[in-house]
Amino acid sequence: MSFKDILNSGKFVVTAEVGPPKGTDIKEMIHHIELLKGKVDALNVTDNQSAVMRICSMAVCKIVLEHDVEPILQMTCRDRNRIGLQSDLLGANILGIRNVLCMTGDHVLAGDHKQAKPVYDIESVQLLSVVNSLNNGKDMAGNDLKGATDFFQGAVVTPEANPLEPQLIKFEKKVRAGAKFFQTQAIYDINKFKEFMSYARKFSVKILAGIVVLKSAGMASFINNNVPGIRVPQELIDELKAAGKEKALDTGLNIAARHIRQLKDENICDGVHIMAIGMEDKVPIIMERAGLL
Amino acid sequence: MIITKKRDFQELMENIKNYRSFFLIGCSECASLCGTGNQEAIDALTEALKAEGKEVTGGFVAKTGCQVLGTKIELKPFKDALDKTECILIMSCGAGTQAAVEIFEDKPVYATNDSLFLGNMTRFQMFDERCSLCGKCILDKTGGICPVTACPKGILNGPCGGCKDGKCEVSPDIKCAWVRIYERMKRLDRLQELCDNALEAKDWSMSIKPRTLVARPEKKEEKKK
Repeated sequence: MSFKDILNSGKFVVTAEVGPPKGTDIKEMIHHIELLKGKVDALNVTDNQSAVMRICSMAVCKIVLEHDVEPILQMTCRDRNRIGLQSDLLGANILGIRNVLCMTGDHVLAGDHKQAKPVYDIESVQLLSVVNSLNNGKDMAGNDLKGATDFFQGAVVTPEANPLEPQLIKFEKKVRAGAKFFQTQAIYDINKFKEFMSYARKFSVKILAGIVVLKSAGMASFINNNVPGIRVPQELIDELKAAGKEKALDTGLNIAARHIRQLKDENICDGVHIMAIGMEDKVPIIMERAGLL
Repeated sequence: MIITKKRDFQELMENIKNYRSFFLIGCSECASLCGTGNQEAIDALTEALKAEGKEVTGGFVAKTGCQVLGTKIELKPFKDALDKTECILIMSCGAGTQAAVEIFEDKPVYATNDSLFLGNMTRFQMFDERCSLCGKCILDKTGGICPVTACPKGILNGPCGGCKDGKCEVSPDIKCAWVRIYERMKRLDRLQELCDNALEAKDWSMSIKPRTLVARPEKKEEKKK
């Protein structure tokens, strides 16, 4: 069953992600793909994440497919203009890639090529419209395609953005532009997330809650001080502190598993997107503890 | 106005090292407000050049340095000083420098400033970029705040995920353009407009360089012929 069919079937979906490496040695990446095969419903492949130059998302999506895992092609507008984006979308489609996650993309100043010219010819809302249009057999300029694409397109949303309302206005624009599913920025406060979901449920889109494992109390504080749109509640920081250095990571895995279990048991959202950020080997452990394996 | 910044003096000296005598041309418009092309700036550069053993044959503040014909007329009284100089130094923007290139066909022209952006003076000699000259204004749809310019990504439909407590991901010194637009539209009771209308991708063919404009109908016809 495809990712789209699984999501539409009502099953609680789990996605994870693979970050392409910088360089051509892909042994570790393949190991991660093999590790997650048969466990997750789809694997996101990031697009030069944090504006750091790496292997392109499309090539890695093809490798993911070859390992019988369904890829979600992350596509940002930072590095390609509308010609490049559409051309890559057509290319991805003929390679068998069916899921695309449309994003604007971190600014080049966040990455390792700060002198690069950022493109941003279009942005996330417009990219969703473009995918919609390609699915309907037309390119962005209105020209007919010889063969339409059949993408299942998604987008991202930050439920804990501050201020929230401008973010929600954009969320609604993304829904109207054709987004079928959303993967959220990491969430840690389930009650606050429930408030977001009671709003988001007004729209017929699928929502996958973002899960990022906390490795330590220090990491949690760092996130609160530096990462936009994520807020770790003090209780969780205290819980990690109380666990001590030795057991902090294990506690972080427990917190992630506990949140996933609650999201599923209380039917709060349609699934989770686990961003392991270098700890892909821990994803099966979290899933096991959440009762998903 | 066009915001300019004085070049590093050593860089300027390296550029003009082959010349001995100079005529300095400032500009009474933008460059004067920036302090890069007013009389004080001309006097200061004159002193600095003399201290390096260079000769300054003269100088003046043009009314509008980018206006070719007007500047040419204004330069007439300075014929002797201009004949004596080996090199012209322009103390305005890139447009002013290129007006001089057109006027002085046989003399080298060098720029003392770097041209930065089109901006507003918010306080004395403090400038903010406000307009990207994109060719198709969308200010009427965004509460009069330009996201093409005020957002480092030029996003047309709302804040990105990098917005933290209303600040931009690129720098905490920048307030998120879309939070500003949201707040203004809310104050004007126009939020619904913002929600209902997703802005389409920009038509960048409006800003293909070099752009020209003939605002006189009779000249437009002439140009067509």
